[in-house]
Amino acid sequence: MMMPTGQIRRRTLFFMPKYIICEVYPLLMYGAYAYPFNLKANGIIIDVKQKDRIFTYTRECNGEEFGIKLSAAGGRIIINPVEPVNLPKKITHFLEIGFDKIVMPPESYETYYLKFPVEIGVFYSSRNDISVIDIFSLSPHKYSLYGTPKGGSIVKYCYSEIYSSIPETDPLREGIIALNIINNEKEIIEISKVVFDSFGMKIFYDSENVTMSASMKILPKYEADTEFINAPLIPGSGKSIELYTAMNIPVVKRNFKMEWGY
Amino acid sequence: MVTIIDQFANLNIGYQTVTIGEVFISIIIIIAAIIIGRFISNKVKRQLHDVVSANNRELIVKSIYFAIIFAGLLIALPYLDLDLSGLLLAGGIFGIIIGFAGQNVFSNFISGIILIFERPIKIGDNIGIEDTLGTVEDIRILSTIIKTYDGIYTRIPNQTLFTANITNYVTNVARRFEYKIGIRYSDDAEKAMSVMWEIIKNHPFALKYPEPSIFVEDLGDNAVIISVRIWSPSLVWWDVRTELLWKIKKTIEENGIQIPFPQRTVWFPEGMKNDVIIKEKVKV
Repeated sequence: MMMPTGQIRRRTLFFMPKYIICEVYPLLMYGAYAYPFNLKANGIIIDVKQKDRIFTYTRECNGEEFGIKLSAAGGRIIINPVEPVNLPKKITHFLEIGFDKIVMPPESYETYYLKFPVEIGVFYSSRNDISVIDIFSLSPHKYSLYGTPKGGSIVKYCYSEIYSSIPETDPLREGIIALNIINNEKEIIEISKVVFDSFGMKIFYDSENVTMSASMKILPKYEADTEFINAPLIPGSGKSIELYTAMNIPVVKRNFKMEWGY
Repeated sequence: MVTIIDQFANLNIGYQTVTIGEVFISIIIIIAAIIIGRFISNKVKRQLHDVVSANNRELIVKSIYFAIIFAGLLIALPYLDLDLSGLLLAGGIFGIIIGFAGQNVFSNFISGIILIFERPIKIGDNIGIEDTLGTVEDIRILSTIIKTYDGIYTRIPNQTLFTANITNYVTNVARRFEYKIGIRYSDDAEKAMSVMWEIIKNHPFALKYPEPSIFVEDLGDNAVIISVRIWSPSLVWWDVRTELLWKIKKTIEENGIQIPFPQRTVWFPEGMKNDVIIKEKVKV
């Protein structure tokens, strides 16, 4: 992990006039910035430069480059982890995490920790409005089918080890999800995957971790209900701006019923 | 009291033998028809919200509404002693003429209604109907508009659509595609399959589940045929198919495996004699 070599203060950079060049702790990348500024961390370079009255946002990550022009008339850039279901192309809003099969006794509950891939969202904010201008990721992407081709869903897929305590992660690549599994049924159950609807995701981050909390309630007939908990796993964590909020997508249902087994 | 109501209800109006009660019943029937018409048309409007375009939706809803009102009038008018036999006769003759003239139009209309409710296709779907492949632009009452992949506007009458075999490429969220890749007999087929497996595993839209399958399918005339079957999201399958095919071709060649040209070895029984003659001619 790189040590900071320049001056940067997360969330205190609004309207700072001078150009900032620094290498930062990975998690210091997350926050709000007045432009111009420049960030470098774990192979990610974000640069906002001014030429005449136009600012140019450029980003390099995994050899991929992206650029967009920004108006000089105010606004700021917010960078935070977002729902990991957008790359390389938005085709679903479901996330499946597969893990080694775990057996749970009847009428029991347990909290396990899983890792999930992080996608980083860059928002342009001005007055009371906010818009996504860039999403990128250091993590590999894989998609899968949950259920049947006719009635199932395409899901963003990742595999995770299962942990009994919060594992160490590279916060620009991976986040941690605390999964509270509640088995109210009178049968032994075997679980090897969990599927979430990203429309209900609540992502938090602090100086070391990107985290989420969720519950998985086991239902009869090999079904389960998953839902995100709107509370930070680590006290004092900041809350990410959700993509569906920024895109003004109205969210009616926040849970997901796993009808095709777990 | 009952007698007063009975007398009032049976009171004749004008020269006709129509009572106030009959007028009242006919008004009730017409009001009921309006209420039922509005209720059903609103229900249909909601049901068709995402199925058909706004213009067609309004047309269908209004047709249903006025059909119900018309039915209400047909039921109500006899209470007012209006003789509908003349109207029915005229309507019957008119109906026969219209029936002959508009047979196809009516057939297309009914087919359109059935298609809207059966929903084998939706606006935006990628479909194939006989020789026409493209994206559904609009589903109208009499016809369906398809934009072919060449960008050409194609209007297909609903009757044709109704009786034709429709292939909808995106109804299911995932679909499978297949390559058959030939390699030389001298190449290591296991190595080739391993290389292909790695490429597919690293492609984000080659689905993890259902798992892809790679196997030697045939020992062909000119090559060992390896079959590669991959599931992909229906929305992006064509991009994945084209991208992966080229990537597989490049990568297996980088690994020293070649896709052979068709070749045939021909043996001539007199081949040796010809060779001798040619050699003698060369000497001369």
